[in-house]
Amino acid sequence: MTAGGRALADVTKLTRRAAIGGLAAAGLGFIAFGPRGAREQGARGRIVLDYWEKWTRHERDAMVKVVDAFNASQNRIFVRCIVTSDIGQKSLVAIAGGDPPDVIGLYAFNVPPYAESKAIVPLNELAPRFGVQLDDYAPGVRQVMQHDRGAVGGGGEGTQWWATVNTAGSVAMYYNKALFREVGLDPERPPRTIAELDEAHRKLVKTNAAGDLERVGFLHREPGWWSWLWAYHFGGRIYDAATDRSLAASAENVRAMEWMQSYARDLGVERVKKFNESFGNYFTPENPFLSGKVAMIVQGPWVANLIGAFKPEMEYGVVAFPEENAERDSRSPVGLIDTDVLVIPRGARHPEASMEFIAWTQRQDMTELLATAHFKPSPLAKASEEFLSKHPNKGIRVHYDILSSPRAFIAPPTRAWQQCKDEFDTAVQKMWRLERPAAEVCGELDRRMQGLIDRAADEKRRRGA
Amino acid sequence: MSEQLASSAAVPVTTRRRGGWWHPDWHGLVWVSPWLLGATAFLFVPMALSLYYSFTDYPLLEPPLWVGLGNYARMAGDPTFWRVVKNTAVYCLWSIPLQTGLAVALAAMLNGRIPLRRFFQACIFLPTLVPLIASAMVWMWLFNGEYGLINRLLAMVGIRGPTWLVDKNWVMPAMVLMSLWGVGQAVVVYIAALQDVPRQLYEAARIDGMGRLAQFRYVTLPMISPAILFNVIALTINSVQVFAVPYVMFRRPDGQNPAGHFYSMYLYENAFVYGQMGYASAMAWVQLVVVLALTGLMIVASRRLVHYRRV
Repeated sequence: MTAGGRALADVTKLTRRAAIGGLAAAGLGFIAFGPRGAREQGARGRIVLDYWEKWTRHERDAMVKVVDAFNASQNRIFVRCIVTSDIGQKSLVAIAGGDPPDVIGLYAFNVPPYAESKAIVPLNELAPRFGVQLDDYAPGVRQVMQHDRGAVGGGGEGTQWWATVNTAGSVAMYYNKALFREVGLDPERPPRTIAELDEAHRKLVKTNAAGDLERVGFLHREPGWWSWLWAYHFGGRIYDAATDRSLAASAENVRAMEWMQSYARDLGVERVKKFNESFGNYFTPENPFLSGKVAMIVQGPWVANLIGAFKPEMEYGVVAFPEENAERDSRSPVGLIDTDVLVIPRGARHPEASMEFIAWTQRQDMTELLATAHFKPSPLAKASEEFLSKHPNKGIRVHYDILSSPRAFIAPPTRAWQQCKDEFDTAVQKMWRLERPAAEVCGELDRRMQGLIDRAADEKRRRGA
Repeated sequence: MSEQLASSAAVPVTTRRRGGWWHPDWHGLVWVSPWLLGATAFLFVPMALSLYYSFTDYPLLEPPLWVGLGNYARMAGDPTFWRVVKNTAVYCLWSIPLQTGLAVALAAMLNGRIPLRRFFQACIFLPTLVPLIASAMVWMWLFNGEYGLINRLLAMVGIRGPTWLVDKNWVMPAMVLMSLWGVGQAVVVYIAALQDVPRQLYEAARIDGMGRLAQFRYVTLPMISPAILFNVIALTINSVQVFAVPYVMFRRPDGQNPAGHFYSMYLYENAFVYGQMGYASAMAWVQLVVVLALTGLMIVASRRLVHYRRV
């Protein structure tokens, strides 16, 4: 080796040693002086619970207050609130992988498939030990919390209690009072039947000189989150849990879909497409309800929060969504219940401590704190008068009426629901575009939904329930 | 000579003496062991498991249950499966040739003596650095039927633009147009290939009386054909797996636009939304076999169409 070569080899060796030494020093330094998680900071000597929640922004902030209050209330358990996006998918993988968090904030529609797979812990015995009773909740809310694993395919233990509800939502019709007044409608007397809704809608439609839509009264597909719910307002259903049958081809659903098609026909499919493109995103001031482009929408109580944030001067009213026939009995309106739930996943390390934390969140003061921040009703049967009178949502009593109504309904409790819903959405798009008659599309949809439901039942049977 | 032989014969004796795991033959394996461990844990084992799951009913939350070829048979009768196959195939058929043609044309232009050549090269490469989700959001606004820039430009020449992302007839053209946004990477490869074409071939062609087009056809294209083959194979693999952009653009809270529903999206939905990991695994294996078959076909076809220089 030449002298130059030796020198280069020495330098390389030196550089390599320096690099390895530097990396090792950095690693040790990170271990010794690096950042400390919550476990080390606030939880010394306590049981640490991981709580995954899907909410962000103000909704997350409100829940963090509840968690902080719990952590400060005792010195045995410390809860870490971890904001988790795509919570359904991540929970699925975490539970399947055997490393779930201790508590998960899921959606109501997750309860049946999770319960069917025993992926969550039943609360029948656990919850009462911590002072939480099923009777504490509004009647409609109880539907979400329970599921009968044996209803389809057998093998269940009867109806069991699987989840608690941290915030409850019921779906109602929000309407713009100023626009009602502008076209000569009485803002204090919103539509109660489908016929009245149609009439109000026609009055509210506004076009420009070119014939383009500038405003409509009502659009079924704005925001279109529950494309399947119209049948319930026509006296029907889309699924029968007792027989595990799809009812997508029922006369009520076909009538509901024909009603939807009548709007597409009157407004013009192409005109509506173009009009839809002028809508801003839901969580912005350009939301079509806030910007006055759509006068009546089907929404949950959280929309009042948007109004408060982006258009506080907006004069809005809330009413249960109209029905096809007769005058509604205001004490038992029809409406969808769509809630957030708290569950303890299978494999959670500390189910007792988890339940203790959940019980804290279910106290009346905590549910009311959370519900007020979310503009929602409390899930409990009893609400304090102060909560109701000071609630920021003007339609809070309407939402309560729906939660307590015997005619309130939930998403079909079948494990095939997610796929059925996607099929429903696709079919509704076809009908909305007037591609084929509603009866024909509903017939096809019914066959496809039943196929999915049957396959789910078969799988369950093969597993010996 | 004898000295050389003696020294070369001595090497194995020395290494054999040291022996054991530190034998020089193992050095390479030790150095690549991090990759081997990673690939085994995160590629080979998951692939083997997914092959097994493809023969099971596996809802993730419960153990897998053997169903044999049930998942593969189910695809035949699943209308959504055929819809996503059709959409993906149509997308590939339009997007791959258009992307290839545009990339070659841009590379040929940027390889010539044009002012601000480096600047234009950078401009064409830049979009490939933008995250897919961010570019999807930008394109959503560009394609907006009411306020979108594309329809505004069309309106200036008296054309009423469509609702690109809603109208089932315009979803695919919008997707293909968007795919052209990412040709920068291929352009870079083609420019490198073009710069490698020997100048004397062009001189010979000129002497033979060839015009510019004929030179491109009979000199440039054959000489860059290995680069074209490489890019077409890479494009095919990417196009068959198209996912992020249509997922952001067409899976909306009011439902999936069926015209913008692609194979990998349906695969993902089955795995993580519907809880049907077995069916999703079977779909993934079908996708892999299709990609392998297409790649194999292209390699076989390339024996006649691709020109490799002999050095």
